[in-house]
Amino acid sequence: MSTPVAANVITQVRERVKAIETMPSIPQVFLPLLDMLNLPPDLVSLNEVVKLVSYDNTIAAQCLRVASSPLFGLAKSPDTIKAAVISLGLRRVQTILLTCCMGKAFPAKDWPLDPIVFWRHSLGCAMVCRQFSEKMGGGDREKAYMAGLMHDIGFMVNCMVFPKEFGAAVKYALERQIPLDVAELATMGFTHCESGRALAELWNLSDDMIHVIAHHHNPERSGTAQPLVALVHLSDLLCRMRALGYGYYERQKVDLVEDPAWAILLREHRKLDGVDLVRFSFELDEAVEGISHLVSTIMAGGNP
Amino acid sequence: MNAGAQPAKSSPALSAGSEPVDPVYRQIRDLVYKVSGIYKTEEKLYLLAAGCGRRMKQLSAKTSREYWDHLTAHPSRDGEMRQLLNEITIGETCLFRSQPQLDALRKVILPEIVADKTKQVTRRLRIWSAGCSTGEEPYTLAMNMMEESAGTLRNWTVEILATDLNDHSVETAKAGIYGDYALRSTPDYFKRKYFVPVEDKKLQVRPEVKKLINFSRLNLQDDSRMLFMKGMDVIFCCNVLIYFDGSSKSKVINHFYSNLNFSGYFFLGTSESLLNLNDKFHLVHFPGAIAYWKPSLKSGKL
Repeated sequence: MSTPVAANVITQVRERVKAIETMPSIPQVFLPLLDMLNLPPDLVSLNEVVKLVSYDNTIAAQCLRVASSPLFGLAKSPDTIKAAVISLGLRRVQTILLTCCMGKAFPAKDWPLDPIVFWRHSLGCAMVCRQFSEKMGGGDREKAYMAGLMHDIGFMVNCMVFPKEFGAAVKYALERQIPLDVAELATMGFTHCESGRALAELWNLSDDMIHVIAHHHNPERSGTAQPLVALVHLSDLLCRMRALGYGYYERQKVDLVEDPAWAILLREHRKLDGVDLVRFSFELDEAVEGISHLVSTIMAGGNP
Repeated sequence: MNAGAQPAKSSPALSAGSEPVDPVYRQIRDLVYKVSGIYKTEEKLYLLAAGCGRRMKQLSAKTSREYWDHLTAHPSRDGEMRQLLNEITIGETCLFRSQPQLDALRKVILPEIVADKTKQVTRRLRIWSAGCSTGEEPYTLAMNMMEESAGTLRNWTVEILATDLNDHSVETAKAGIYGDYALRSTPDYFKRKYFVPVEDKKLQVRPEVKKLINFSRLNLQDDSRMLFMKGMDVIFCCNVLIYFDGSSKSKVINHFYSNLNFSGYFFLGTSESLLNLNDKFHLVHFPGAIAYWKPSLKSGKL
């Protein structure tokens, strides 16, 4: 386990993140959507979600296309947002909207990290989180999806706020074939967990989501949201071992069952023990192509 | 991976735009996995369908549903499953079959073994290719170890044991002559460095590569001989376990477990799983590759 980052460094990162004026061109529906995601599902009405999704035509069109991706479960694209909500459910449509907004919130320009690779990893992790929680038969699947999708937003913050320093960290990781967070800590003194946390706080994300973003490399440090953080940690590792990592070879051996996160998750979900991890990995390989398609859809903007 | 909203069986194929797959083949895929641990991913389902097609022709079965009955309801279902497994694993052998396995071996496992054994007097690495067929795997391993001889494996002795049940395969393996098909994944660099051209546009493995390998005939069910195969650091046993039924399969796997040194690794074929036939091995992931690890003495996780 790595040493925690000093409090004064965290404060500095927070100040830098706050100070940037050109915070990503966030779609107008994004922040209201985040607020809505914080509400208990029974307080959210169908009409409100439909209104939110329909607010921006290009985003609405994109949501409909994403909904028809095999990874979201509809065989053909729904005709209207309302039809999508009825077939997929409110929560899933909210996460689809979040997926589309996230792609737009961070215009990828001169990133030290290939944005396609970044999105493949984030979406892959979101899928794996959802699939894991489905196999375990408990918990909120869409929340798991959202946690997987957002866990690495700190990398995007680093790309925009600390491009030079982060560029050096990426180079350091590639040369040594080591995990990115290890390289960040070695070269920058903090990681995407701290910068992601700063943005998550700025955006008023829920406490659980802040924990995921801040502690997904060390789930045992999370207090209240440990099982969710542990789920993201394991899914992140599995993605990096199955062609949905950061596009370079990480010289490491991963023993998921021996990872402390496994024990944390097992305490909440006894069914985790019965998950066939080999088959799960093979199934993940099958999803890679679908995830790549989805990334192209999201990055293509609103045009079909 | 199936989408969450619908039951697995009716979820659409991920390869959007391609011909929809007959759902019976997904059922057969799941059955094959349950019986053998071999998993045909969505993009390889056509291979499974082709294998089924050949068997259906033999049996004069007209529909996939009828063939499903042959696999599940007929008195000869076990034999039929074996025939199908033969069909779907045939021709999978070639040199450099799995680059991710080779990367795991060279980039992660070798440095780990070398670090573990630095204090030992004899610096010897032993790898066993169990069920080596016509030699593609042991030669691939030998060439890759030779690439490490100036680096990680400097001053180390490498021994590769290659065994197969079939005498004819072992003889073919010893000759080490391969055509284009077997060499389709072999990088040119290796072809130039470790092969010499022979007749019929084929290539033969150079003697210095052969020197690293000890070929012999071995029946993995021969308990007395299995007891002597000790001290292995890494064992490869790809698409071989399908030939054993439940109880003899777990016996062979237990042998492999004892044949390995502590901290040793066991590799199966790239789409193969040990299922739950052994609970002492730890499942470990490397980028793009899965292996089974025999815990070290000091890890206290035996």
